[in-house]
Amino acid sequence: MLKIGLRAKPTTSIRPLASRGLFIKTIPQPPGNIVGTVNDAYVPPPPTKSHGSWHWTGEKIVTIGMAPLVLTPFVTGTAYPLADSIMGTLLLYHCYAGFESCIIDYIPLRVYGIWHKAAMGLLGLGTLIAGYGIYVIEKTEQEGLVGIVKKLWTA
Amino acid sequence: MLFLARQSIRSVPRLNLARVAVGMRQLTTVKTTSQEEQNILVAQRKNRPSSPHLQIYQPQLTWILSSFHRITGVGLAAGFYAVTCTFALSSLTGLQFDTATLVSLVAGLPVAAKVALKAAASFPFAFHVANGFRHLVWDFGHELTIKGVYRTGYVVLGFTALIGTYLTFFL
Repeated sequence: MLKIGLRAKPTTSIRPLASRGLFIKTIPQPPGNIVGTVNDAYVPPPPTKSHGSWHWTGEKIVTIGMAPLVLTPFVTGTAYPLADSIMGTLLLYHCYAGFESCIIDYIPLRVYGIWHKAAMGLLGLGTLIAGYGIYVIEKTEQEGLVGIVKKLWTA
Repeated sequence: MLFLARQSIRSVPRLNLARVAVGMRQLTTVKTTSQEEQNILVAQRKNRPSSPHLQIYQPQLTWILSSFHRITGVGLAAGFYAVTCTFALSSLTGLQFDTATLVSLVAGLPVAAKVALKAAASFPFAFHVANGFRHLVWDFGHELTIKGVYRTGYVVLGFTALIGTYLTFFL
C-alpha cells in the first residue's frame, strides 16, 4: 500500500554512523543511538534558566520587537538612528540564537564533542566582534545599518 | 475487531492458512540470558536505517518551507555577520574601510551581476520576514491545522514572489 507522503521505494543506502564526519574524528555512537538498555529510567537534564521555555520566550520577545522595526525603514526612511541601533542589537541576538540552533542540530555535542564546544566558542567570539561592529557602524555611518544596505542597493 | 480478524485472514496465503489450521507452524526456542538478549537487540539495531533520511520523503510545502526558512536565515545572518565583523576588524586594525569602499566594489560590477546579487538578497529576505510572521502567528496558537499551514504557506510564497521582484527590479 502506498502511504501518503512516502515514495514507494526508499532511494537511500544505509551508512554506518562512524563515517558521519568526513575530515574530523567523531565519537562512535551505539547502534540505534540507544545508550544502556530499554529498562533504564530517563534522566532529565538539570533545569537552567537559560534553556527551555525561558529561552524560547526570550527569542520570541526579540522577534516580536524586530517585527515592526524590519518594516519601518521602508515607510519612514533612514532618519531614526535609535530604531536602527535597536534593530541591529535585536538582529544580532536573533542571528546568534539561529546559529546556535544550527550548531546544536548539525554539530551535536554527543557526536562531535570538543568540536561542538569549539563551534560554540567561535560563534560567541564572532558575535562579540559583530556587536562591536554594530557600535562602529552606528558611530561612524550617517544612516546606520539600513543606510549601508540602501547605498549598496543603489550602487 | 471482527473486521480486523477477517482482513488479516484474507491477507494470509491459502497454503499458510492450511498449515496454521493443522498446527504445522514451526517454532524454535533458544534459551538465553538477559545479557545475550541485549546483544541480539544491539545486533538488530545495527541493521536499522538511521533516521531521518530526507530523500525518502515526498517534497511537500510543509517541510520544504521549513528548511527554506533555516537556509535563508543562515544566509542572511552570514551576510550580517560579514558586514559587521568587517567594520569591527577594520576599526580594530586601523585599516581603511567604510561604506564608500563597499559601494565602489559593487559599482564596478556588470549590471547582470548586480541584479543577480540583489535577487540573491531580496528573495531570501522577503521569504524569511514573511515566514517569520507566519511563525509568530503559529506561536500565538493560530493556523495550526494542515489547512492553515498550507493557506499561510501559499500567502508567504505569494508575498515572496511579489516583494522579492519589487526589491530586485523596482527599488
